[in-house]
Amino acid sequence: MALVRTENLSKVYNPDTVPVHALRDVSVTIEPGEFTSIVGPSGSGKTTLLNMIGGLDKPSSGKVFINGTDITGMKDSKLIDFRLRNIGFVFQHYNLIPVFTARENISFIMLLQNRDKKEMLSRADELLDKVGLGDRKDARPKEMSGGQQQRVAVARALASEPKFILADEPTANLDSSSAMNLLDIMSRMNKEQNVTFVFSTHDQRVIDRARRVITMVDGAVDSDERRENGNDNEKE
Amino acid sequence: MLTYFKLAWRNIWRNRRRTLITVSAIVFAVIAAVFMQSMNRGSHEMMLDNMVRFSTGYVQLQDYRYDDESSLDNSFYYDSSVRDRVLDADPNIDMILPRIETFMLAANGAATRGSILLGIDPEKEHRFNELENRLSKGRFIERDDAAVMLGEGLAERLQLTVGDTLVLIGRGRFGMSASGLYEIAGIVEFPIRDLNNQVVLLPLPEAQYLLSADDYITSLLIAPRSDRHTGSVAQSLNEAFADEELVAYTWAELLPELLELFEFDLAVPRLLTVVLYIVIGFGFFGTILTMTLERLREFGVLLSVGMKRGKLALVVFLETLFISIIGVLTGVVASWLIIYYFHRNPVELTGDAAQAVVDMGWDPILPMSFAADQFYTQGFFVFAIAMIVFLFPLLKIVKLNILEAARS
Ligand SMILES: Nc1ncnc2c1ncn2[C@@H]1O[C@H](COP(=O)(O)OP(=O)(O)OP(=O)(O)O)[C@@H](O)[C@H]1O
Ligand SMILES: [Mg+2]
Repeated sequence: MALVRTENLSKVYNPDTVPVHALRDVSVTIEPGEFTSIVGPSGSGKTTLLNMIGGLDKPSSGKVFINGTDITGMKDSKLIDFRLRNIGFVFQHYNLIPVFTARENISFIMLLQNRDKKEMLSRADELLDKVGLGDRKDARPKEMSGGQQQRVAVARALASEPKFILADEPTANLDSSSAMNLLDIMSRMNKEQNVTFVFSTHDQRVIDRARRVITMVDGAVDSDERRENGNDNEKE
Repeated sequence: MLTYFKLAWRNIWRNRRRTLITVSAIVFAVIAAVFMQSMNRGSHEMMLDNMVRFSTGYVQLQDYRYDDESSLDNSFYYDSSVRDRVLDADPNIDMILPRIETFMLAANGAATRGSILLGIDPEKEHRFNELENRLSKGRFIERDDAAVMLGEGLAERLQLTVGDTLVLIGRGRFGMSASGLYEIAGIVEFPIRDLNNQVVLLPLPEAQYLLSADDYITSLLIAPRSDRHTGSVAQSLNEAFADEELVAYTWAELLPELLELFEFDLAVPRLLTVVLYIVIGFGFFGTILTMTLERLREFGVLLSVGMKRGKLALVVFLETLFISIIGVLTGVVASWLIIYYFHRNPVELTGDAAQAVVDMGWDPILPMSFAADQFYTQGFFVFAIAMIVFLFPLLKIVKLNILEAARS
């Protein structure tokens, strides 16, 4: 079964005043284990599509299925819970909880899932090691660089053991070496642990690393290209 | 749960400046509310204190008929055995002051004025209300003197002064005629206008002799060790003298009109207090509004990563609770210190205001009440206002649109 499937997804902002067709009839399918990049010019609807898939916004028409479950009509409180269990988020502006340390930021997500406390801490440490921040566990966000914060955000997104991770321009605020480093981590997790990533980007080097590139133009899918070796030019 | 406490606690210290602004708003609100209350109550307390100390006493023992008809015919027998029984009635009795009181005409030969003759034990009175400190001219009478002290107002009206002779004319017990000539030993300045304009003080034995009422008094003033014993002392006395024709009253029972007047007098201050609360409420609202709007994005992120609205609301509620508690406690301590200072060192009035107050018979100061309850009631009110206003961010969280918040 497809992990994510959108069915004729459309979104019109301001339908009554100045309608903006942000999405037009988008039908895409994402399978487990994919490393998919959504690209396209500014305003082409990338963020809108990710928000729909993440259940952060409701479509004007069409449907979104996650693992076969239709989330389009789900109630808000149920949706929050569904997101917590199924989807990990990485935002452009890191968005960690500023008063929590790296470790606390990660275990907080697991706390929301009511996990066992011991398991929470050991898993947080393990994830921080994986993103290469084993020595920054007790640092607060403002004591870390943008790249480090974004790596914590990836670790946090993984902590809840989601089915897939949505990342809207995760590298947009990073310098290029931090961006590549983040991407290395993401693609390694994708390869080694089969974590599914869907991310949007403008950055050509990031696009080059994707194994599937969905190009949006004017709210519609313009091309959908699979590149088997896309993920393999990782330099280490 | 602990994590939410931790999150809330750290959140309030994340933006120290913002927290300090909110806390100081609460602190000032408490100080303003207590200050206003204290000023409103201060003058009443002073009046009451004067009334109690110079007029009624905390508890008064009377013949049960005296309340209806305040005449010498309703005086009661008082000797050392009655005194001992009174003192034995309650261990919290500190002091007792026998008085005989009646209406008499006071004259200087040409002019005549109605006056209140008070037969007192001068030394005991002084211990109870520091009467000697109120002496403005002459000397303080002694127990075996046959001389009087006059209220300053009465002396002025009769144009008499120390060394002159006062004529007293009236009726003694059971219709005996009573009249006497007394040397004026001193002039006393009473802090109650009615007393100041009417009172003639005579040592008790001489007064009893003049009124043909040897061993009789009209009232026995009783001072408890502390004013909080007032009620229980009155009750003990009523039990001890249940079989006799004596009744004990508390000052509140003796001064109902005054208490009513205070109630009436409080109407305007109450209204002002409500206005103050509204101002406080709007002040809080402004602070909390900016605070909430600044944090919408943060709230949006927390909701999008899977925090339930209820949990987020709990964290924000805890934050406001912490801030309110810190603010109110600090405010109560600060106002306690400020009021303590002004209670001990009252602001002295000058000019017209001072004259107006002196004309009323009071001291020219701005008395501040130091009653304990005003600190916690005002603290509680401000706390309640803060908690009500702080519901606003909670409402906002419940209604928050995640995407709009994350974009802001
Ligand atoms: N809340 C909104 N109200 C009205 N129009 C919106 C809203 N959000 C997005 N749009 C419009 O929808 C269209 C698609 O926006 P979207 O943010 O999805 O583009 P994008 O591909 O993510 O662009 P970028 O690369 O700049 O992030 C744009 O024309 C945008 O102006
Ligand atoms: Mg975008």
